[in-house]
Amino acid sequence: MAKLAVRMQVVEFGVFVGLALLVARAAQVQIVQGRRWAEEAKAQRTERIVLPARRGTLYDRHGTPLAVTQETYHVGVAPNELRDPAADGALISRRLGLAPRSWQEALRRRYAYFAGPYSALEVQPLRAVRGVHLEAVLSRFYPDPGVARATIGRLGDDELGGSGLEKTLDTLLAGRSGAAVVLKDRAGREYESPARVIAAPVPGLDVVLTLDAELQEIAQRALDDALRRMDADGGDVVMLDPTSGEVLALASRTREGSARPSAFTDTFEPGSIAKIFAAAGLLTLRRVSPTDRVSGEGGKWRLPGRTITDEDPQPSFTLADAIRVSSNIGIVKFAARLEPDEQYAILRDFGFGTPTGIEFPAEAAGRLRPPSVWQRPSAASLAMGYELSVTPIQVAMAYGALANDGVLLEPTLIREVRGGSVEGGAPGTVRYRHRPEPVRRVVSRDVAAALRELLRGVVERGTGTEAALTNFPVAAKTGTARRVVNGRYAAGEYTASFAALFPAERPQLVLVVKIDNPHKGSYFAAQTAAPVTRSMLEQALAARNVALDRARLSTAVPRAVGGATPLEDDGGVVPYLVPWPYHPDSAAVGSRRAVPDVTGLGIREAVRALHRRGFRVALRGWGAAEHTWPAAGDSANSGSVVTLFAQPTPPRRPRR
Amino acid sequence: MIRGRHWVAVWLLAFLATTWIVYARQTASIRAARELTDLRARRANLEGHRADLERRIRTAESRAVLVPRAQARLGLHLPSDSEIVLIPAPGGSR
Repeated sequence: MAKLAVRMQVVEFGVFVGLALLVARAAQVQIVQGRRWAEEAKAQRTERIVLPARRGTLYDRHGTPLAVTQETYHVGVAPNELRDPAADGALISRRLGLAPRSWQEALRRRYAYFAGPYSALEVQPLRAVRGVHLEAVLSRFYPDPGVARATIGRLGDDELGGSGLEKTLDTLLAGRSGAAVVLKDRAGREYESPARVIAAPVPGLDVVLTLDAELQEIAQRALDDALRRMDADGGDVVMLDPTSGEVLALASRTREGSARPSAFTDTFEPGSIAKIFAAAGLLTLRRVSPTDRVSGEGGKWRLPGRTITDEDPQPSFTLADAIRVSSNIGIVKFAARLEPDEQYAILRDFGFGTPTGIEFPAEAAGRLRPPSVWQRPSAASLAMGYELSVTPIQVAMAYGALANDGVLLEPTLIREVRGGSVEGGAPGTVRYRHRPEPVRRVVSRDVAAALRELLRGVVERGTGTEAALTNFPVAAKTGTARRVVNGRYAAGEYTASFAALFPAERPQLVLVVKIDNPHKGSYFAAQTAAPVTRSMLEQALAARNVALDRARLSTAVPRAVGGATPLEDDGGVVPYLVPWPYHPDSAAVGSRRAVPDVTGLGIREAVRALHRRGFRVALRGWGAAEHTWPAAGDSANSGSVVTLFAQPTPPRRPRR
Repeated sequence: MIRGRHWVAVWLLAFLATTWIVYARQTASIRAARELTDLRARRANLEGHRADLERRIRTAESRAVLVPRAQARLGLHLPSDSEIVLIPAPGGSR
C-alpha cells in the first residue's frame, strides 16, 4: 500500500512539475516573448502592400485626353492548375497573342509569367480560367501616340516622368501612393479577404494643356507633307495665341521621322525674320521717318569685313520697302542709325538670348552676345538676323509681342490644373488657371501697330505673297538664312523660316514655320515656308473647333461681308456654315459671368441652365451632371465653352 | 438555479453561437470581397472598352482618315480661304 501511495505521489509530483513547466513555458511565450512571437506571426500572415496612385490625365484645351492612366494586367499561368490544358491553352495563347512555340515552352515551366501589359479587354475571357492569375497594374496610355509626342513626353522605366511635360509636371501628376495590409496563407498567397487600408492612394491632379488637338494635327500633317515634298532635313511649326501666350500647337520633325522637341531645344540663325526687330528699335527711338530713303547700292555693298548683297536689287529703300522686299542693304543702312547698346537692348527686350520660361525641361536660351564682344560686322549681321541664335518658340513670342500691342508675354503650355482629392477638395476643383503673364512692354502700342503694317506689306506686295489669303489679311516676314555646319556656313544649305500674324488686325494666331535645308525646288522661305503657312491657315479656318474667334474674324473681313463678296463670286454657294442660333466666341469679351451649379441635374436641365447663362456646352459622359469645367462658381466669358461632365445615376427604385 | 451540467450546455451553446457568428461574418466578407473584385474587373473592362472605342473614334475622326475619304467618296475638298465665308452674327462682336 505504502508503495502504491509513494508511486501516486511521484506521479502527482511529475504531473505537477509537468504542468508547472507548461505554465512557465506558456508564460515565457505569452508574456516574456509575446511581442516577438506576435510580430513574427503577423509577418507570416500579413503583408503590407503599396496601393499605387492613379496618375493624372493630360487633356488638350477642349478636354480631349492626350495621356491617360488605365488598369492593365500581367498574366501568370500555373500549367498544372489548368482544368483542360488544350482548350485553356488555346484560349490563353489567343488572348495574349502568343506564338504556339512560346506557349509550348511556357507549359513546360512550373509557372509562366507574361508581363504584357495586357488590357482589360484582352484578359476578360481569362478571368474564369482556373490556373490563370492576373496582376493589376496601372499603365500610362497615349490615345493618339503621334499627337505632340515630343511636347508631352513619356514616363521613364521607374514610372516617373522621363521627358517633356510628363517630367515637368511629375509632382502634380504622380499623386501619392497608399498602403494596405492583406492576409496571406502559409504559402504566401493572399487570402480572398478585403485589404485593411492604412492610407488610401491620392490620385494625381489632371492638367489641361493649352494645346489644341485639331490645330496640332493640322500643324503636324502640314509639316510632314512639307518635309516630304521639299526633301528637307527637318522642321518646326509653332502656333500660339498672342493675347494669352498660350501655345496652341507645336510640331517638330526630322527627316528620319523622329519627333524631338526642337522648337524648345534647337537654335538657329533667324535671318530676315529678325529684320523687323531692328525696325522696332528704329521706330521706338525715332531714328527713321516714313519718307527716309537709303540707296540700294545696285544690290551689292561692301562694308569693312563683309559684303552685303540683295536678292532683289532696288535703287533706294524706305524702311517699309526694306522690310517688304527683305533688303539686307536697306536694313543694314537703317540699323546703322542705332548704337550697339540700343540694337542689343531691343533684341534683348524681345526675349532673345534668354529662355522664355515655358514649362518645358531643357529649354535653350539661344545666343545674343553683348556689344562688348562684338566684332566689326556684328551690328550689320544682327540687323540681318545673323550672329544671333534663337529657338522657334522665342521667335513666336517675339512676334506675339508685336501682335499683342507691344507687350511680351511669357509662353505657357498649361491652361488649368484640376483635381480634388488632395486636401479634401471636390473632384474637378480648379487649382490653377493660367492668366497672361506680361514680361515687359517692348514697344509702344503705336510702334507695334506700325510694325504690323510693315509686316502686312510683306504679304500683300513683298516676299510673303505666297502666304496671302483672299479674304483675310495676314502680316508676316520671310527669312532665308545660311546654315552653320561644324562652325562654318555650309555651301548650299539654308534654313527657310516664316513668322506670321493672323489676321493682321487684332491677331489671334502667331505662326512660325521653319524648314531645315530643303533640297527639292527653291530654298527660299517665300516658296517653302510661306505656302505651308497659308495651307495651315486655310485648314484652321475650315476646322470646326480650333481656337479661333470667328466672330471677330468676320468683322475683320469687310470684303467678305459686303461688296464683291465670294458669295457672289461663287454663285451664292456658302461652303462653310456657322450654327444658328450663333453664339460668337467673342460675344462677351469683358462680360464674364459665373458658371451655374448644375450638379445632380439631368443632362437636359443642366445644358439648358448653362445655355440660359450664355455658355456653349461640350458634353462628356451620360447620366446626371457631375461637374463642369470651368467649375461652378468660377467666372467665364459668356459664349465660351463649358464642358459638362455627366455620370450614370443608379436606377431609382419604384415607390410603393 | 442552473446546475453544473446545464452550465456546460450554456457554455457550449455560447461557443457555438460565437463560432457561427465568426463564420458568418467571414463568409459574408469573403463574398463581398469577391463581388468587389468582380465589380472592379467589370469596371476595368468597361473602362478599357471605352478607351478602345474613344481611340477608334478619334482615329476615324482624324484628318488623316477623314480627308482622303471625303475627297474620294464625296468629292469634297479642303476649302481655300476664298471658299470660307464667315457670316457676322448680329450684335455678335464689337
